[in-house]
Amino acid sequence: MNTIDLQTELVTLTTDGAIATLTLNRPDARNALSLEMIAAMEVGLEKIESGLDGVAVVILAGAGKSFCAGMDLKAVQDDPILMGDMLRRLAAVSRRIRRLDYPTIARVQGAAIGGGCGLMVVCDFSFAHPEAKLGYPEVDLGICPAVVAPFLVKRIGAGKARAMLLAGGTMGGEAGFDAGLATHLVAMDELESATIAFAERLAKGGPEAIRATKRWLNELDGSLDDEQLSKGAEISAELIQTEDAQARLRTLFKR
Amino acid sequence: MTNKAMVQFDTPIMTVVLNDPDRRNALSHQVFDDFEQCLDEVETAIDSESCHVLRIRGEGPAFCAGFDLEAMAHGALPSFLERLGAICRRLRHLEAVVVAEVHGPALAGGCALVSACDIVHAGPDAAFGYPVHRLGISPAVSLATLVPGTSPGAARALTLSGAFLDADAAVRIGLAAAAHPDRAALEDAVTTLCDRLAAMDAATLRATKRFQNELDGTADGDVFVASLAASLAIASSDEFRTRIERVIAKKRAKETDRD
Repeated sequence: MNTIDLQTELVTLTTDGAIATLTLNRPDARNALSLEMIAAMEVGLEKIESGLDGVAVVILAGAGKSFCAGMDLKAVQDDPILMGDMLRRLAAVSRRIRRLDYPTIARVQGAAIGGGCGLMVVCDFSFAHPEAKLGYPEVDLGICPAVVAPFLVKRIGAGKARAMLLAGGTMGGEAGFDAGLATHLVAMDELESATIAFAERLAKGGPEAIRATKRWLNELDGSLDDEQLSKGAEISAELIQTEDAQARLRTLFKR
Repeated sequence: MTNKAMVQFDTPIMTVVLNDPDRRNALSHQVFDDFEQCLDEVETAIDSESCHVLRIRGEGPAFCAGFDLEAMAHGALPSFLERLGAICRRLRHLEAVVVAEVHGPALAGGCALVSACDIVHAGPDAAFGYPVHRLGISPAVSLATLVPGTSPGAARALTLSGAFLDADAAVRIGLAAAAHPDRAALEDAVTTLCDRLAAMDAATLRATKRFQNELDGTADGDVFVASLAASLAIASSDEFRTRIERVIAKKRAKETDRD
């Protein structure tokens, strides 16, 4: 296994044969997405985009008990402008993951909430286990989930996405699998081996053929539509900067 | 107002009840009149920021059995289609989250209404479908919201086949968000959901719904106009007239037999 130096410990990038693994590595904070963490993901993505020798598949993973607990808004609670910027940068990172020339697999243990669930569904495949906690509770917190809406719609369809985002809340792994958030559901103790076995199977495909298929799928489902994807982030960013939303967040952080 | 549809107010939740149980809440001139008036009241309440959740349910055994047959036999079809299309569009553009509580059949125009709602919960007796081609009517008016709400494939199969879906099947294609084992569970779940939505921030929900509409192409009025036009194009056809007369004659014969 090779470790590629990203000059940060918040995200790690390793390769093992045909499989590259990009790991969110802030386990104490359940891999919540801070500005620094998003910046570290950008560095990792740059390495992957510039090509990794022999790699054919990318796994997106989280270290520790959870995949990703969502945006770390608390860390920037005094700076609404920065909150907006984080949402825009998360949207840009999501877009880059979507457009990687390799098939991507999210390996989800524990929580994938809000922005974390967004990262899960932006991947081509996502593996979860029955005890996982998935979903988009943004509206419960008074946050608009527009930033994650486009890729959710592409994954599960507009009707299901409408009901899920407007109703908020979270769900278990099985319900998430039924709803289409996860493409694969396996037992927790088989999560890692099942993900790797699936990745190895994908790696057997011709890389040029896979790249062509993925590019065409992205074109078909609007994943190359910068305007629409940016608009979602703008709506969320604008709304989070309002005094009403900030007041709600302050109350939330005090709990 | 004849109270064939009623509105109940529990700020910020409004409930519209289709209230013609003996006729399975079929959409008649009166039901449309009252339904439209209810929506006027809902819109006024939204404008004054005293409503951001709308619950819709039906009184009696059915949610809504579609258009009233007798009225259609007397030339009402074009106006019914226009009014249905307009209501679907209003529900979709309403700046409130629209929750449908479907306890019984929601067929044809009733299924169209359901497809225009944001979150649909279904009970054990729910049935969804468009058994209307046999009457010479095209359900195209419903496609503006049915296609994005389910999938192009599912909408194609559902409208062309005329088949009925139960609650579980409706959940599978995305027409409903949840299926419940009995009427009480349905009512409880919808009440809990509406209470949760009521506690949420209205502006956040509004922004989320608006962007959903943009993403699935229903923000634009064009798709509603085009869908309606496709149904209207054959609303005065000989095929329709012959078939509706035949259905009415059969119904009369049955009633005479009973007498």
